[in-house]
Parts: sequence; structure tokens; C-alpha cells
Amino acid sequence: MTQGLGGKTILILCEKPDAAARLAKALNEAGKVREKRLNGVPYYESSRNGDRLIIISALGHLYTVAPKIEDRDVYPVFDFYWAPRYKVERNSGQTRKWIEAISKLSKDAQEYVLATDYDIEGATIGYTVLKYACGGKDAEAKRMKFSTLTADELRKSYEEMLPHIEFSTAEAGMCRHLIDALYGINLSRAMTTAAKRWSGRYATISTGRVQGPTLKFLVEREKEINTFVPTPYWTVKALIQIGGSTYEAEYEKKAIWNLEEANSIVKACSGKLGTVTRVDVRKTKQKPPTPFDLSSLQTEAYSLFKYTPRRTSNIAERLYLEALISYPRTSSQKLPPAIGYRNILEALGRHPSYKGLTSDLLERGDLVPNEGAKSDPAHPAIYPTGNMPERVLSEPERRLWDLIVRRFMAVFGEPAIRQSVKVTVEIGGHLFYLRGRQIVEEGWMRFYKPYVRFEDVLLPQIEEGEKVKVEGVVREDKFTKPPPRYNPSSLLKRMEKEGIGTKATRADIIETLYKRGYISGESIVVSNLGFDVIEILSGYCPQVISVDFTRDLEEKMEMIQIGSEKMESVVNRAIRHLKPVLEALKSRETEIGKALSESIRKTRMDERTVGQCPVCGTGKLLILRSRRTKKRFIGCTNFFEGLCKASFPLPQKGTLKPLRKNCKLCGWPLIQVRSRGRRPWNLCFNPECPSKERVKQG
Amino acid sequence: MKCEICGRRAESRFCELHRKAEENLREKYEEWKKAMDICWEDYLREVLKNPMTGLWVKEVARVLLASPEGKEASSTQKKV
Repeated sequence: MTQGLGGKTILILCEKPDAAARLAKALNEAGKVREKRLNGVPYYESSRNGDRLIIISALGHLYTVAPKIEDRDVYPVFDFYWAPRYKVERNSGQTRKWIEAISKLSKDAQEYVLATDYDIEGATIGYTVLKYACGGKDAEAKRMKFSTLTADELRKSYEEMLPHIEFSTAEAGMCRHLIDALYGINLSRAMTTAAKRWSGRYATISTGRVQGPTLKFLVEREKEINTFVPTPYWTVKALIQIGGSTYEAEYEKKAIWNLEEANSIVKACSGKLGTVTRVDVRKTKQKPPTPFDLSSLQTEAYSLFKYTPRRTSNIAERLYLEALISYPRTSSQKLPPAIGYRNILEALGRHPSYKGLTSDLLERGDLVPNEGAKSDPAHPAIYPTGNMPERVLSEPERRLWDLIVRRFMAVFGEPAIRQSVKVTVEIGGHLFYLRGRQIVEEGWMRFYKPYVRFEDVLLPQIEEGEKVKVEGVVREDKFTKPPPRYNPSSLLKRMEKEGIGTKATRADIIETLYKRGYISGESIVVSNLGFDVIEILSGYCPQVISVDFTRDLEEKMEMIQIGSEKMESVVNRAIRHLKPVLEALKSRETEIGKALSESIRKTRMDERTVGQCPVCGTGKLLILRSRRTKKRFIGCTNFFEGLCKASFPLPQKGTLKPLRKNCKLCGWPLIQVRSRGRRPWNLCFNPECPSKERVKQG
Repeated sequence: MKCEICGRRAESRFCELHRKAEENLREKYEEWKKAMDICWEDYLREVLKNPMTGLWVKEVARVLLASPEGKEASSTQKKV
């Protein structure tokens, strides 16, 4: 390989291929950036300041923590090492080519620069690659720090690079991986082995340091919902006529807990005239929202677009790699002036949808964002870079980018002024309230308009002492409601509030709970298996699902990052905690195995049960597979008793899921069919269903 | 001993989960009685048809309604 004219060869390591391409383009000073491939692995050659730059990316983590004892039936295991992922993980074969390519290219380099994401995972990825693939270059490598992939910031970051990588952050990252492996591998092996030894069948049952406490939140909520008994209460409303329109006024007590009392209020007020005794008008200032950190972006995207936290995180990552937004994995709600508010707004003004809004902001003398309390030493809050998309964005990408852009503008807006009106009406000695609300000054809402959730309720002009006609007084029968189920967004918020997991891992942990079959649905329901895993862990080793312990470990790991704690002592503490737990699990393996196996059997049966058989009315319909033809079909459990011969054909491709809902036309149970590249569709398997007639008639 | 409803391990008639549901069911009857004039059996029927009622409570209510033991308990409570 040739070197630049009198210059050095510098290897720059990024985290993802897209980031490498962008960095190569930004740093290159002469000619065109050349994309090259080594065994199919892309890398780029640029030149800058007379140096030859080799820019290559990792593929996320190339190394992982693995137990020295590979046999999955053996636990406890406390000896771990950092291994190339392709050696220890299935479906990670690609990482081999990457490690080999980095290793080969690093041999020609005289200098090394780490340009992975500036956070705990980025530091860990970089440290392990520099140490293991580049032959111990971690000590001499320099560090680029940036929060956006815009050309200007990348160039500035290169010119002002830090003299070394962030060792304490990498240590904290490695410690987290090690502790997660200690808990995850040991506890999962204990439970999986127990079930396998009892039933003879293999099924992965996993739990982990954060996964367990998270599932426990869900189980606790499920228990509250399933043991909930509604209590009756009543409300009373007066229908009041003002200026030809009817308005609903609510009774002074929001809930009446006795039927007789509710009836007596209705009786006392019926047929009476109302008198307006008081009109209260109140104006309140509503401050602009704070800039997005990752979790508030995930919450907002879920509430507006129903994107799961994981989906939002993935879309945001793509927008970051396109240099459209700043680094999204941030806990910060602060926007330092150094990001250049005016430049960003001017650049955003090139977009026709934002032109009018940005010029409004730019006309102001001072631009001061309404910052939130949370901060992050590594990155500011999420903000748009001002770059315009270089390609047509997909609809979810466009929506999320627009949300981030509008939020950025809104944080610089004036407070909105909201007016609330409360009219007190006296009817038959009882007080009723008419309430109205209205935004009188839009302020920041103008910038965030499509995403502002506020409905004006307007009341007519009304004066104190005015007599109003009461059309009627009605009693409404109500019941108390159980607490709401968690959804992925509210669960993520709870995890954040409890201080378990990190902004980078929380969404993935929720996804794992779905994958393992512990939970299902958008409004999360815990399966029998999920229940039993928590019941077993609470029964035999409650310490591993203790939120306090998990939070304490998180704090200790954060202390490593700031240099006030050592990895070794945190790991030893975790082992001391884990050892007796695993011993207890081992000594009661048979009991645990029996309980888990039974639960797995029930869960599998539930997954195959479609519903009550509409033919015989007593059996249950199951998704079965013919031993002879190997085809799937629906059959009745009463077939084996010779009582019912109901059977129905099923599509042979895709995955099937009983919907637990009935067809609106014929009342038979529905099945959802999911296949690759197609939208999921609901199937009514009743051959006589009127929906089939409709299809036939076109 | 196994739970009469779900077959889980139980120390008495119901497992811990269904026992908690039963406990809530009996406790809440007091609130229902303060709210309106209702007997135990009607209360169980009302709870059963209410969409807000928890699944395990409904399962327990069904068992109590069907069992003579439950009805006896109800008559005692009615007297109270």
C-alpha cells in the first residue's frame, strides 16, 4: 500500500458503514473518495493534510462477552472472556470478515482514530476492536467527538480530536456487558435446564438483570387488573340552555358513592330554573415544550404515531446517519448555543413548510430555548442539523424528522396563553359547573401545531345573576376502572423512572419480552409463562427481580464511568449476590422444572387454541398439523372422543395467530395470518360466512 | 393441593392469585352494600357481567355462584 506524500496512514474506525462513508466524504481534500472492498467489507480512502486516511466501520459490536464453559446445561459460570461474535453467536458469521478486514488494514496504519458514537456503547465497540482486532492500539488511539454527521462538524471534530479514547466509559460499558452476561446466562441457563430436565424438551426461558424487574412491573399490573372489582358510583349532569344551545354542567361532587343520594339530587333539581352565581375566568401560561431526549421522543412518537420505542429509536438512528438530526441516544434536554441556533433555523427555512415559521423566529433578537432538567455529558438534546434530505424519506422517517424539526422550533417559542372559564350555576340548592377552555395566544403552539393536542370548548357570553333554563337533570351510572395496562411507551417510562436499563437498552429489553412469549399485544398482556417465570423467581430468588438491587448496580456502573468505582469490585459484588441465588435454583431444579414445563405446555396450547367450536359448542378448536399430509388445519378437541368432526383448511404459508375476536358477520373466531412482505390479514375460516359471499360477488 | 380454578399450587381451595381475587370480591361487597341495596348473589351476578371486572375475579365469582358453600357464605353475609 502507498502512503500520502510524506504523510502518515491513519486508520479511522466508525461504528456503522453509513457513518464511515459520510466521514470519508467530509474529510477528503483531494479528488473523489474511493470506496474499496476487502473480502466484501467496504472501506474508504481519503486524504487530508497530506495524510492517507483509511476509514472503516465496525458492524455494531464485533466482540461480545462469552462464558468459558460453552455447554448450555452447565451453570453457574463466572469465567467470561471477550470473544469475536462469530465464534460464539449464531447468525453473526458476517462479523468475521469485518474483524479480518480491520485487522489487515490496521497493520499499515501509523495512527489510529476512534470515531464511533460518543457514548458507552460506542466506547466499548471501539475499545474492543482497537484492543483485539488492531493488536492493542487502544492506548495510542485518538478520539473524534461529534454529535451530528454534518460535514462541518466532522471536519471540526477531526481537527480538534481528543488525545485518547475515553477509557473509563469503555470500562463502564464492558462492566455492563459482563454483568448482564453473568445474570442473563446463568439465570436463563438455570431455568432452561430445569425445564428441559423435567420435560425432555428444549425451550429458551430467559431472564436477566433488567428483564426480570421489567417483567415484574407488568406482572404486578396484570395482578391488579385481574383482581379488580369495580365499585359503582354515580354522576349528575344538568343540561342547561343558553342562547338556543344546550350545555352540560357537571355536579359539584365528581362522584356520588350512594345511589339514593344521587337520586335525591336529581329529584331536587328537576324542573327548577338555574341561576348563574359566579363566573371565574383564569388565564394560565403554558410554557413551550423542552427539547427531545431519546425517551421523550419515543413517548411522543408512540402517542402521535403509535411507533414502538424500538421503532422510533431505529428511525432516529437512520435520520442521524443521513446527517438530518443530531445523535439520538441522548438523555439531554439541553441545547447549547454552540450548536448554532440561527444557522440551523436559516437552513431549515429552505424547506417550504418551515419557511414562514423559521423567519418568525429569526426576526427575534434573542433565541433562548426552553430547556429541560435532564442533561447528558456526551451529547446535547436531539435537534435537526438543518440539512435537507438527500433522498426521498419513507413516511415514518418524514414524520419523525418533521416532529423533531417542529419541536426544535417550538422550544424557542413564546408561552401559549390558555383561558379557562368556570361558570357556577345554582339549581334547587345544588351547585353545577359549566367549564370552557380556549387558547387565546398560540405562542409556541404555532410551531408545533399538528402535534398539539388541545381542543377548545367555547362557552357563550354569560353574566352573574343570569337565569338559565334547565332542560333536564340526569343521573349517570358509572363504575371505577382498573389501572390501565402498560404499553411499550409507558413501560419504557416506568423503567426510566425506576432507573433500570439505559436509554440504549430499554427498548430492546421490551422487545425481548415479546419475543420470549412473556407478553403480547400493544396494550400489554402477560402470558401464563411470563407469570410463572416471575412467580418462580419471586418464590426462589426474589433478589434477582429486585428493582433496588438493579438500580444500585446501574449507579455503580455509572460511577465507573466517572472514575469513582472500579470494574473489578462491581463485578465481584454482582458475583457475591448471584452465587447463593444460583445455588438455591439448582437445589430445587426439579420443582422449578415441573412448574416451568407445565407453564410452557399451557402457553403452547393457548397459542394454538382458536376458540370455542361453533359446530358442537363444547369442544375447542385447535390449530393442528396432519401427520399424513403435514398440512395445517383447524380441528375440534371433541374429535378424539368421536363427538365432533369439524375441521377447516388453513393457509399453509405464513404464521397464524388466534385473534381472540369473533367475526362480525358470522360470530366465528378469527385468525390473523402474517406472511413476509404482506400486511397481516384476518381470516374467518367459516366456509358459510357471508364475507365469502361478498368476495364471490366481487 | 391444586387451585380449583387454574390448577396452580394452592394452600387452600384457591391459588394465591385467585385467593387475592376472592379477598377483593368479599371486601368490595361492603362498598357495594353502602352504595345500594344488593344481596350477595345479585352482587356476584353484577360483578360477573361487568366488563371492568378482572378475569380472576370473574372466575372466582362463577365458582362461588355455582357452589352451595358460596351461597351459604352469602346468606351469612346477608344476615350481617
